[in-house]
Amino acid sequence: MSITEFLVLWLCSFGFILFCRVAPVVVLRGRSLSPRVVDALGYIPPAAFAALVTNDLLSPNMFANGIWPGLMPCIASGVVVLVCWKTRSMLWCCVLGVVSYVLLSLI
Amino acid sequence: MLSYVAVGMPCGVLAAKAGMDPLMNFVLGLTFLTGSGQFMMSNLLLAGIPIGSVVASVCAISTRFSLYSASLAPYLQHFGKPQALAISCTYSEEAYGISLGKLAEGGNWTWRHALLLNLTVQFTWAISCALGAALGSVVDIPTAIAGFAMTSLFVYLLCTQSHTAGNVCAMAGAAATVFICKCVGLTGVAVPLGALVGMGAGMASALLTHEGKKATTLDDATTSRGIAGSDNVAAFGNATRSNNALAPNSAAGSDNATASDSSTPDALALKEGDAQ
Repeated sequence: MSITEFLVLWLCSFGFILFCRVAPVVVLRGRSLSPRVVDALGYIPPAAFAALVTNDLLSPNMFANGIWPGLMPCIASGVVVLVCWKTRSMLWCCVLGVVSYVLLSLI
Repeated sequence: MLSYVAVGMPCGVLAAKAGMDPLMNFVLGLTFLTGSGQFMMSNLLLAGIPIGSVVASVCAISTRFSLYSASLAPYLQHFGKPQALAISCTYSEEAYGISLGKLAEGGNWTWRHALLLNLTVQFTWAISCALGAALGSVVDIPTAIAGFAMTSLFVYLLCTQSHTAGNVCAMAGAAATVFICKCVGLTGVAVPLGALVGMGAGMASALLTHEGKKATTLDDATTSRGIAGSDNVAAFGNATRSNNALAPNSAAGSDNATASDSSTPDALALKEGDAQ
């Protein structure tokens, strides 16, 4: 990747993310949000994480190379769920998630 | 902090495969603070997607920060404008969860604590990404394996949300929307659109079950604290779930509850590390 490509990629994305972070703080400064808006904002994290997980695991052509390659990440994610349930540790979830993915990919 | 190393290094490995050197990774990690954005960027570049589309996709999934900042804004007005802006520019999702909980508790969590926590996380992430890129340039690690570290993180964050009817509806709505978007070729907007539809589904569910009303009662707050999971990291879902200083307590769980006894972010970070 050339420096120019990187700068375009970085500055455009960084500018937008900075705007998203700062604009609400500036606009909402000194104002209180209505309970309904606060309630709505509270649904963003579960919705966003569900969207990100689905985006990673499911796709229309996930079984294009066979059932196992499509199913394997879902099973590895199941392992992460179990680890999370038992340990509540982000570190263990990430480490054991990757380890289970590697092991399952060897099958 | 160790979690950032565990996820940041695969992120750097993936970025190295996409052609970014350690310095680029460090700059990205220091300024982006969106692991998912960085992973997505690398994946799209590896897939040969044009830079413009990559930027659009990263921007699309980063719109969630405006929602996080909106929920943080009422608490930041107690600080000066420069301090509020500094905090809003530097938080990660995890640091946001911790600071939101602390600020809503109304304790002595100052802007210095919040900013120090943010910067500690920021530098840990950036250095991990750079190290990962350095490693990725000498060791051949399959992209799918490196990328699954991020998926694991998302699964973890999803699992630690409280399992109220509203949240479950939000999750289901978001997941269904993402899948439909991908089926019809709207991959770039699938995640933000899914989040918005999920939010709508959660709101609709709350209206139907009057859950929003219940959430403001002390009993419900206590219950959700019990369900909400331990790591402060993702419990911010509950923290933003209901205002009035009830839900932020849900971020308490176990680790955060311990950390709340500490007065400095360093102690907090240490306890986090210990907990991991």
